[in-house]
Amino acid sequence: MFAEIFSIAFQFADVFAFLILAAAGLAIIFGMMGIINMAHGEFITCGIYVTVICVQHGVPLPLAQAIGALSAGLVGIVLERTIIRHLYHRPLDSILATWGISLMVTQGMLIVLGSSWQGIGTPLGSFAVGGYTFSTYRLVLFGAAVGVLIGLYLIYMRTNYGVMARATMQNADMARALGVRTQRMYAISFGLGAALAGLCGALYAPTMTLIPTMGITFIIESFVTVVVGGANVLLGTAPAGILLGVVRTILNAWYGQIAGQIGLLITVIIVIRMLPEGVSGWLSRRGG
Amino acid sequence: MGKSGRTATLCGAAIAASLAMAAAPAMAQQPIKVGLLEDVSGDIALMGKPKLNGSQLAAEEINAAGGIMGRKIELIHLDPQMDNARYQEFARRLLQRDKVDVLIGGITSASREAIRPIVNRTDVPYFYTNQYEGGVCDASTISIGAVPEQQFSTLIPWMTETFGKKVYTIAADYNFGQISAEWTRDLMKKLGGQVVGEEFIPLGVSQFGQTIQNIQRANPDWIMTLNVGASQDSFFEQAAAAKLSIPMGSSIKVMLGFEHKRFPPPALAKMHATANWFEEIDTPAATDFKKRWRAKFPNEAYINDMGYNAYTALFMYKTLVEKAKSTKKADLRKVIATGEACIDAPEGKICIDPKSQHTSHHMRLIGVNPDHSVRVIKDFGLIKPYWLGEIGCDLTKKDPKEQYTPTSLPKK
Amino acid sequence: MTPMLNVLNGPQTLGNGRFFWTGFVLVLMFALGYPAISDPYDVGNIAYLLLSTLTALGLSLMWGYAGMFSFGQTAFFGVAGYTYGVISINLGASGGLTFLCLLGGVAVAALFAALLGYFLIYGRVSGVFFGIVTFATTLALAAFFGQTAGPEWAIGKARFNGFNGMIGMPPLELPWLDDNIVLEGIALYYFVLCLVLVVYLGLRILVNSRFGNVLVAIREDPLRTELLGYDVRKYQLITFVVGSALAALSGGLYTAWGQFIPPASMGLPAAAMPIIWVAFSGRQDLTATLVGTFLLLLVFQTITVYSQQYALILMGFLLLITVLLVPSGFVIGVGRLLGRLGRGVTS
Repeated sequence: MFAEIFSIAFQFADVFAFLILAAAGLAIIFGMMGIINMAHGEFITCGIYVTVICVQHGVPLPLAQAIGALSAGLVGIVLERTIIRHLYHRPLDSILATWGISLMVTQGMLIVLGSSWQGIGTPLGSFAVGGYTFSTYRLVLFGAAVGVLIGLYLIYMRTNYGVMARATMQNADMARALGVRTQRMYAISFGLGAALAGLCGALYAPTMTLIPTMGITFIIESFVTVVVGGANVLLGTAPAGILLGVVRTILNAWYGQIAGQIGLLITVIIVIRMLPEGVSGWLSRRGG
Repeated sequence: MGKSGRTATLCGAAIAASLAMAAAPAMAQQPIKVGLLEDVSGDIALMGKPKLNGSQLAAEEINAAGGIMGRKIELIHLDPQMDNARYQEFARRLLQRDKVDVLIGGITSASREAIRPIVNRTDVPYFYTNQYEGGVCDASTISIGAVPEQQFSTLIPWMTETFGKKVYTIAADYNFGQISAEWTRDLMKKLGGQVVGEEFIPLGVSQFGQTIQNIQRANPDWIMTLNVGASQDSFFEQAAAAKLSIPMGSSIKVMLGFEHKRFPPPALAKMHATANWFEEIDTPAATDFKKRWRAKFPNEAYINDMGYNAYTALFMYKTLVEKAKSTKKADLRKVIATGEACIDAPEGKICIDPKSQHTSHHMRLIGVNPDHSVRVIKDFGLIKPYWLGEIGCDLTKKDPKEQYTPTSLPKK
Repeated sequence: MTPMLNVLNGPQTLGNGRFFWTGFVLVLMFALGYPAISDPYDVGNIAYLLLSTLTALGLSLMWGYAGMFSFGQTAFFGVAGYTYGVISINLGASGGLTFLCLLGGVAVAALFAALLGYFLIYGRVSGVFFGIVTFATTLALAAFFGQTAGPEWAIGKARFNGFNGMIGMPPLELPWLDDNIVLEGIALYYFVLCLVLVVYLGLRILVNSRFGNVLVAIREDPLRTELLGYDVRKYQLITFVVGSALAALSGGLYTAWGQFIPPASMGLPAAAMPIIWVAFSGRQDLTATLVGTFLLLLVFQTITVYSQQYALILMGFLLLITVLLVPSGFVIGVGRLLGRLGRGVTS
C-alpha cells in the first residue's frame, strides 16, 4: 500500500518537475516580458548540448550542467541585444523572428553536429520501494524544480534587480523616469529566462535521446504551464504546475498517456475560459 | 569531423565523374531518372540521411558498371522535410515535371500514404524501402523492407520460449505501433501466451516514469518495445536508470535507430530483434558491402537497414528493368509476376513476391550484449512475405490499392 | 465602373488608386493567360499554392483587421478536410456532388468555429490567450486524430486511419455535358483562381464597409467601441466564423487535391504556418497578405527544391531579416517604398 502511494507521489513529483523546469525560463520571457519565444526549445537544446560536450571532455556532471545553463543565458543576452530588443513594441512579430531563429539553429546543428549523439547516462543509480524501483536522479530533478521556484521568488522579491525588473515590466516609461536602466533590465531578464531554459536542458540531458530537435518535446508543456499560471510568474507558476501535474498524473495512470496529453490541452482551454488572467490573476484578485 | 567527410564526398564525386566520363560513349542514351524523396532535415534526418547515402552508393556502383541497359542512372533527390504536404508537392514535381522513371522513398507510413494516390495516376513504379506495419496491396507500390510476418513470427515464438509467456507491449500510438501490437496480441494468443499489459504512447512523448512503473506492476517476462522516434527512445535510458532490467524484443530497435550506439551501455542490454540487415552482419558479402559504404561515407554513424534497403532497391530496379527491357510499370510487373525478380543482396538472395509485391528476406535474430555489442542468436534463413497472399491480396489478378491490417481484412 | 470600385476602395485597404487597379487588371490578365505560356505541372503547382492563400486571407481579416490572434486556423482546415472525406467516401460522391461535399466540410468547420468562438469570445478571452486556446484546440485535435488508427475509428465507410491520414476520397469533379472533368491541373487552376479572386474582392468590400470600420475600431480599442453602442462580441464572432470558414475552404480543397488528409495538418509546425505567412506579408492589409503569402510559399518551395539541407536555414534567415528590416511586413514595406518612389517620379 505504501509502495502504491509512494509511486503515485513520485510520478506526480516527476511530472511537476518537468512542467516547472520546462516553463521557468518561458515564464520570464513570455509571462513577464510578453515575448512569444518560439526558440525556447533551442535554448533548452543549447543547455543540453553544452552539458554533453563538457561531460565528454571530462568535466563533472554538476559543473557541466552549470556551464550549460550559463551558456544558454549568454546566448540569450546576445540574442536580446542584437534582435529581440527591436521587437518589444510589437511582441507578436517576435513569433516570426524567434521561429526563424529556431529553424536556423536546429537545422544548423543538424548539419554541423550530425543527426545524433551518444548519451551520457543517468547518474546516481536507483532505489527500491516495495516492488518498485526508481531512478534516484528523478528526485534531483524534483529538488531542482522546487529550488528554481524558490530562487525565482527570492530574486524577484528580495533583490534590487528583482524590484527594478518588475517595475520595468509593469511600466517601462515610469521605471525609466525613476532612473531604472530599463534596457539593461530587459537584457538581464531575457538572459535569465534563457539560462533557466538552458538549466532545464542541462538537467534532462542525461535522461534523454540527443538530437538537435529535442528541445521541441518541452515546448507544449512549457507554454501550457505559463499560460495557466498567468502573467504573475511568482504567484502563478507553482500552482499551475501542481494543477497540471495532478491532471496529467491521474490521466496518465488511469487512462494512458494520450489522455494525459489531450487532458493537459483541454485543461488549458477551460482554465483560460474560467480564469482569463490565469491562476495568478485569480489569486491576486482574491487576495485583494 | 565535417571537413574530412566533405573531402571524401568530393573525392567520391570526382571518381564517379571520371568513371562516368570514361564510360561516356556507352552512355549516349538518355539517363534513367530516379526520383528520391528522403527527409534529410528535421527529426528523422537520422534515418533519412543513410537512405540517401544508400541510393547514392548504389547509383554510383551501377553507373560504374555500365548503368542499366547502357543507360546511366540520374538521381533527383528532394527533401520533403518530414512534411506530408511537401511529399505530395514533390511527388508531383518529380513525376510531372522531371518525368522520373521510378520513384523511391518516404520514411513514415503517412508519407507513403500521401504519395500513393499520386503515383497511382501514372505508369511509374514506386519503391517503398522501409520496414513497416505491412498490408499495402497496391500494384504501383513495391515494398523492399521487412514486414511483420517476417519479423514477428520469428521473434515472438523465440522470446516466448526463451523468457516466458507473459509480455508487456509498449507501442507508439499510431498506425505502426497499433498494428504491430495487434500482431503481437495475435501471435501470443496462438502461442498460448498472455499480454499482461499494453500501453500506447503519443508520438513526441519523452517521459516514461509512469510507464516504467506500470511495467513493474504487471511484472512481465519480457517487453515488446515498439516505441518510435527520438523522443520515445528516451524510454531506454529512463528504464535503465530505474533498474528495470527485463528482456526486451522489438522489430525496429538496433537495426534501424541504432539505439545501442546512441545510448551508453547497458541501456539496451537484453534487447532482441529480428532483422534482414544490421551493421554487425559479418558474412563475406556483407563485409564487402560495408567496406564500400564506409569508403564513400566514412562518417556514417551506423549503416542501418533503411539505408541498406535503399541500396538494394536500386539493384532490384535494375534487375527488373533489364529483365523487362522496359521501364514501364506494366512491363516490370510482368517480370514480378513470374516470381523470378531476384537479386543477390549483401544479406543473401532476395525475391519479390508476385502476389503482394513485397520482398522475401534473410532474417536473423540478434541480441544486444551488456557492453552493447551485438550477437547473432539464430538464423531463420529466407522468409517470404506470406501474409498478404494468405488474406487474399493477389496483385497479379486484382489491384485494390488498399492497406490491410489483421483487423481490417479484404472483403471476400 | 466607378460605383463598383467605390465599394472595393476605402481607408481599410492599401491600393485604392487608378495605379493600383491598373496593376491589378494586368496581374489578373497575366494569371488568366498563364496556363498558355507554362507547362501543366507549373500550373497545377501554382493552383496548389493558391489554396493556402485563402487561409491567410481569413487570418488577415481576423488578426490584422479585428485584432483576434488565432494560432489554430489549422483546426478548421483539418476538420473541413476530414469532413469532406467522411461525406464524400460515404456517398461515393462523384461529379457535382463532390462540390456539395466540399460545402458540407466548410459548413461543419464553420459550425465548429461558431461554437468555439462563442465559448471564447463571450468568455472574454482575448489577446495572446485567444491564440493559446486556439493553438491548444488544434493540437488536441491533432493528438486525437493521431491515435485513430484502429478500425473502430470510422464514420460509416470512412476510416480516420490515425497518423497515416485518411485516404480514398475523390477529387473535385465538374459535371460537363455527359462527362465529369476531374479538377486538377489547368481546370483546378482556373477554379482556385476564381475562388481567390471572389474571396479577395469580397473581403475588400467587407472591410471597407461599415462592418469593416467597426472591426478596425474594435482592434484599436474594444472598450471604446463597445461604449459607442456596438455589440463588439457579435462582430468578433462573425469575423471568427468567416475567417475560419476560409481556412476550412483551404482544407477541403487541399484534401480533394491530394485525396489525403493527415492529423499532422493540424499539429506543429503546420499550425504556425498561417501566422508566419500573414506576419511576413503584413497582416493589416488583404492585398499584402494575398501577395506576400503566395510569394513566401513559392520562395519556400523553391528554396526547398534547390538547397536541400540548407533550406530551413535560408527560410529562417529570410523571416528574421524581414522582421528586422521591414517591421510592417514585407509586402506593405515594399509597397510603401514603391509608393514613395512613384510619388517621387510624378512630383
